Amino acid sequence: MKVTVVSRSGREVIKGGIELHDEATVSDLQEAIHARTKKYYPSRQRLTLPMQAGIQGKPIVLSPKKKLVDYCDGNVKNLTVVFKDLGVQVLYRTLFFWEYLGPLVIYPIFYYFPVYKYFGYEGERVVYPVQTYAMYYWCLHYSKRIMETFFVHRFSHATSPLSNVFRNCAYYWTFGAYIAYYVNHPMYTPVNDLQMKIGFGFGLICQVSNFYCHILLRNLRNPNGNGGYQIPHGFLFNIVTCANYTTEIYQWLGFNIATQTIAGYVFLVVAALIMTNWALAKHRRLKKLFDGKEGRPRYPRRWVILPPFI
Amino acid sequence: MAGFLSTLRRIYLSLYNWTVFVGWFQVLYFAVKALREGGPTTVYGFVERPLQLAQTAAVMEILHGLVGLVRSPVSATLPQIGSRLFLTWGILWSFPETRAHILVSSLVISWSITEIIRYSFFGMKEAFGFAPSWLLWLRYSTFLILYPTGITSEVGLLYVALPYIKASEKYCIRMPNKWNFSFDYFSASILALAIYIPGSPHMYQYMLGQRRKALSKSKTA
Repeated sequence: MKVTVVSRSGREVIKGGIELHDEATVSDLQEAIHARTKKYYPSRQRLTLPMQAGIQGKPIVLSPKKKLVDYCDGNVKNLTVVFKDLGVQVLYRTLFFWEYLGPLVIYPIFYYFPVYKYFGYEGERVVYPVQTYAMYYWCLHYSKRIMETFFVHRFSHATSPLSNVFRNCAYYWTFGAYIAYYVNHPMYTPVNDLQMKIGFGFGLICQVSNFYCHILLRNLRNPNGNGGYQIPHGFLFNIVTCANYTTEIYQWLGFNIATQTIAGYVFLVVAALIMTNWALAKHRRLKKLFDGKEGRPRYPRRWVILPPFI
Repeated sequence: MAGFLSTLRRIYLSLYNWTVFVGWFQVLYFAVKALREGGPTTVYGFVERPLQLAQTAAVMEILHGLVGLVRSPVSATLPQIGSRLFLTWGILWSFPETRAHILVSSLVISWSITEIIRYSFFGMKEAFGFAPSWLLWLRYSTFLILYPTGITSEVGLLYVALPYIKASEKYCIRMPNKWNFSFDYFSASILALAIYIPGSPHMYQYMLGQRRKALSKSKTA
């Protein structure tokens, strides 16, 4: 079959199109486009079916594993696809590694090194137990995240645009430094012992729960990566769609109860807002997919992310 | 019902835009009056009240964007209003030592001319459904001069205020305190100054893009 590849403005991206055998997959097409253009490796390509004039809605994205014939509406000898360059891509693994490495390295710098003299605070500083525990807790958290990135998470879309590296690192590294500055400050005022224990205790329970949530999510995805959606179930997923985000948010709450800084609470609020956005989209997607029709199960009534609020 | 609401919206936005227009018109009027009667060092005294009212009213525009009353993205209006309020209240009102500076005149004139054009443009569209082509042209052309003059005045005044900010403890929160928080107004002002470096070309480019779109659309219309 002949595949015509056009840009969103209608211009032919591959002159003369591409000839492929009839059983070819989208992935084969992507390889062929890469071979003809050198610059556009498959993860940079977004291929969609052309939109019908006047019809609203989102364009249908071609899935790499499917066959091209699956997208042909009758005419199996010709197919037109719309090409979009997603820009330079990095692996999600790479993105996560760099964004988490920052906080892991930056925080201990404020704990161990005499950085505060550059802010005008001379002399020895007294280190409270809570500040030491906070440093361990923080480093445990980000080490856990890096470990999960390499050994636990299964990524559906393997890559992310390069610009996200700068944006995400700015977010994590800046907040990391901002919080580390205050918790390790020479004029830090600790909370009482009981509050500290409750904070870290609760936080640790949530971190362990969060890890378990990640394991459950990983096992939802098939190892040969057919990437289909499943209704999450088990443990907290039975009552809340994004239990992984729930435990993550509560884990930070634990850290803040123990360390009590405005900086930490600001981070908590921002992170919760970002995750709530993601959770709403995911919950919506799952409800739409699992509508109870045509033999599909119906998505059960559940909290989205933060019972009892949302 | 829908028709009633959209008419209500139009009436509200017409009133809003024309009211704020009058405010900025006063600012320009009093600024020119001051320059003729007392000279540049007296400008602030003449414009203070209408300037504070007209500029602070702009906070409503963030709300308008958030509730969807207008189409402007909050991401474009927030930095603009932020810097205006910072200059109006955080610098000029808070540090009287800056008020006699010549940049106050250029600031106030740049802002008022821009806003007079902008609010009358929106006021016309909401009240009458259209804006005359010369007003459209003014709205998308005067920024070419007024953005540089306005931004230079803002940055200049911020810089002039720095030693006074540093010397005073105004708006500063110091440690130790039970929330382990601090705020240094001087550092925040330096940060604000730094944001102008990528921020100004970004805003200028944005307006250039808007100009291209608006003026080409009117040609083909």
